[in-house]
Amino acid sequence: MRIKEHPILGATEKGATVTFEFDGKPIQGFEGEPIAVALRAAGVMVHRHTMKEDRPRGIFCAIGRCTDCVMIVDGKPNIRTCVTPLKAGMKVETQYGVTAKKEA
Amino acid sequence: MERYELIVVGAGPAGLSAAIEAAKAGMKTVVFDENAKPGGQLFKQIHKFFGSKEHKAKIRGYNIGETLLREAETCGVEVVLNATVAGVYEGRELTVMQGDSIKHFKGDSIVVATGASENMVTFPGWTLPGVIGAGAAQTMMNLHGIKPGSRVLMLGTGNVGLVVSYQLLQAGCEVVALVDASKKIGGYGVHAAKVARTGVPFYLSHTIVAVHGEDCVKGVTIGEVDAAWQVIPGSEKTFDVDTVCLAVGLSPMAQLVKSAGCEMNGIVPAVDAYGATSVPGIYAAGDVSGIEEASSAMIEGRIAGAAAAYQAGYLEKSDFESIVTAHEASLGSLREGMFGPKQRGRVQTVTEEGIVLSQSLLTKGYLDESDLAHFPSIQHGKTGVYPVIECTQNIPCNPCQDACVKGCILIGNDITSLPVINAEATCTGCGMCVASCSGQAIFLVEEKPLESTAYVSFPYEFLPLPEKGDRGIALDRSGAPICDAEITAVRTGKAMDQTHVVTMKVPLDYASTARFFRRR
Amino acid sequence: MNGRIDRSIDLGPYVAAPDDGMIICRCEEVTKGEIRRAVHDGMFTITEIRRYLRTGMGLCQGQTCARLVKQIVAKELDVSPDVLEDAVARAPFRPVPMRVLANEAEGRTR
Repeated sequence: MRIKEHPILGATEKGATVTFEFDGKPIQGFEGEPIAVALRAAGVMVHRHTMKEDRPRGIFCAIGRCTDCVMIVDGKPNIRTCVTPLKAGMKVETQYGVTAKKEA
Repeated sequence: MERYELIVVGAGPAGLSAAIEAAKAGMKTVVFDENAKPGGQLFKQIHKFFGSKEHKAKIRGYNIGETLLREAETCGVEVVLNATVAGVYEGRELTVMQGDSIKHFKGDSIVVATGASENMVTFPGWTLPGVIGAGAAQTMMNLHGIKPGSRVLMLGTGNVGLVVSYQLLQAGCEVVALVDASKKIGGYGVHAAKVARTGVPFYLSHTIVAVHGEDCVKGVTIGEVDAAWQVIPGSEKTFDVDTVCLAVGLSPMAQLVKSAGCEMNGIVPAVDAYGATSVPGIYAAGDVSGIEEASSAMIEGRIAGAAAAYQAGYLEKSDFESIVTAHEASLGSLREGMFGPKQRGRVQTVTEEGIVLSQSLLTKGYLDESDLAHFPSIQHGKTGVYPVIECTQNIPCNPCQDACVKGCILIGNDITSLPVINAEATCTGCGMCVASCSGQAIFLVEEKPLESTAYVSFPYEFLPLPEKGDRGIALDRSGAPICDAEITAVRTGKAMDQTHVVTMKVPLDYASTARFFRRR
Repeated sequence: MNGRIDRSIDLGPYVAAPDDGMIICRCEEVTKGEIRRAVHDGMFTITEIRRYLRTGMGLCQGQTCARLVKQIVAKELDVSPDVLEDAVARAPFRPVPMRVLANEAEGRTR
């Protein structure tokens, strides 16, 4: 999904390649880019499941307004992944309601 | 609590412009923005802007953003990022969230330039991952270098829908359709035409019936709507897509002005000619005071910034008046034309010149052959190389006039006038008009009856760039393949700013229809 | 502006519609049917709807649904959406963690 070369913008400048954890699996992304972008590049569409109806949600506004893309990052819930820069070793988890555990 | 003479909320085009103008006059100015990067939406705008030289026409949005940031820095404007204005209180006091704390600021004046937020529409499946706002698509592609999806359906044919569709194509996505419940395309015809000629179909009077998928978007069904906006049974069409993009308008982000007690005029704050609200010392500029384009927002910002400086005694009355007069004239010219604020909601059938508007352009996104004869700048059958200007709506834009050193193209003082070809001047075929037209509506044609061929030059902003000798198929204005074509020249230059001028050889009969090229 | 809405108007019985199940407030997962029913329950202003159903009171603070809720309420009341006043805008305009809200900095800020 990454744009290697853009007709107007040229090559996209990115930070160093770093490894982070998504639901326990190691994934690579670029340091400093939004977590959501690294996840999109890795093919992850579902960021969370809603509290009442357990419906999947992902990126919607991509500018930190809609809060649909929130996930659990390093143990903290409700983190807007579209505006939170990726760091090496981050632990990113799918959010169920407001927790990391899917209720039975 | 820290005091500033001017606090600007929002570092977009309006906010930065206001801050620059105030700081230039000597005010101690700070700009707060909740984002990690300044510039608002300007850095996502990769297309060339309309307007005239003073509006920075034919310059791409992100380049305008860079210039604005440099100017802000030079003038000593302090831009504080990741700073969310959380509250506004009496006496022009603001609380700002920065990192892990809330800080208090007081502004002798405040310019609110909070911009707008995207409107949304609902349909079954609208909450599925893969349904995104057009702004999200722009952010992902143009800021973060990632495609929002592979196959995209765009809902909305206003300028945002049209421009973002084109950007999706530039990013390498496939756009399967542009859909709008309205009967007519809302944005500029030239923006529609540059998408249509690549082969993207337009479905006007259509709406989304449902988006399909369990965990994310797998497809979308659209249907035609009747006069009561109900889907006509049997009209449904389903597309295999992974992304549905919504571009259904913007609304001013007015919580801050409302909370400050500013008198509202519907959804926008009531402002005077200088952007002053009903609350003394609080100004509003840009989209928050009425949705327009970035070019207008920058001028509104300049005026509000100057007004704050005048109010604070930093500008003499005569200096203030001359600044305002210049900017008001510039703003006035941008607001003219058939897409200007005065024309909103009006049905127009003819141009200012009295030429019947192309209905095909308004409903399908491209000019029909029967329209061509009405527009004097759409020439054919001439000797030598000549420009064909497919600019058929009154939009405020004139870079083509300046681009031609031979004076072939005339617009005149009224920048919304349709371009006219100067019969006295001779086209040298340099291609600068082709590259400078922000609407990508200018073509060069050279007919060679003896060889039974024609050479058509057209603007090209995609990758891979065709090369001389490439063979493929010429597409007409609707994107339909019409004949074989061979690339004979590709012109690229600094002044062309990434708009390459590609020339293809086609059979003579296709001189007035071949407008795009596809590799075989 | 809310004064213009006649509190005694008869809305007629609540009739279920096929799209009642559509989520309108994405954060609090409030459906169109719930909003329509709330109007029939006597919630005629956006503020009342908000307090009754929590529309626009979730994480995003109504960024996405405010306009949609207004349209639904207006349609149910058979008035123009312009007649309905938006919910009161009050600080904080964006979600602020309580820990941060409680941490007011003093003096210079940089």
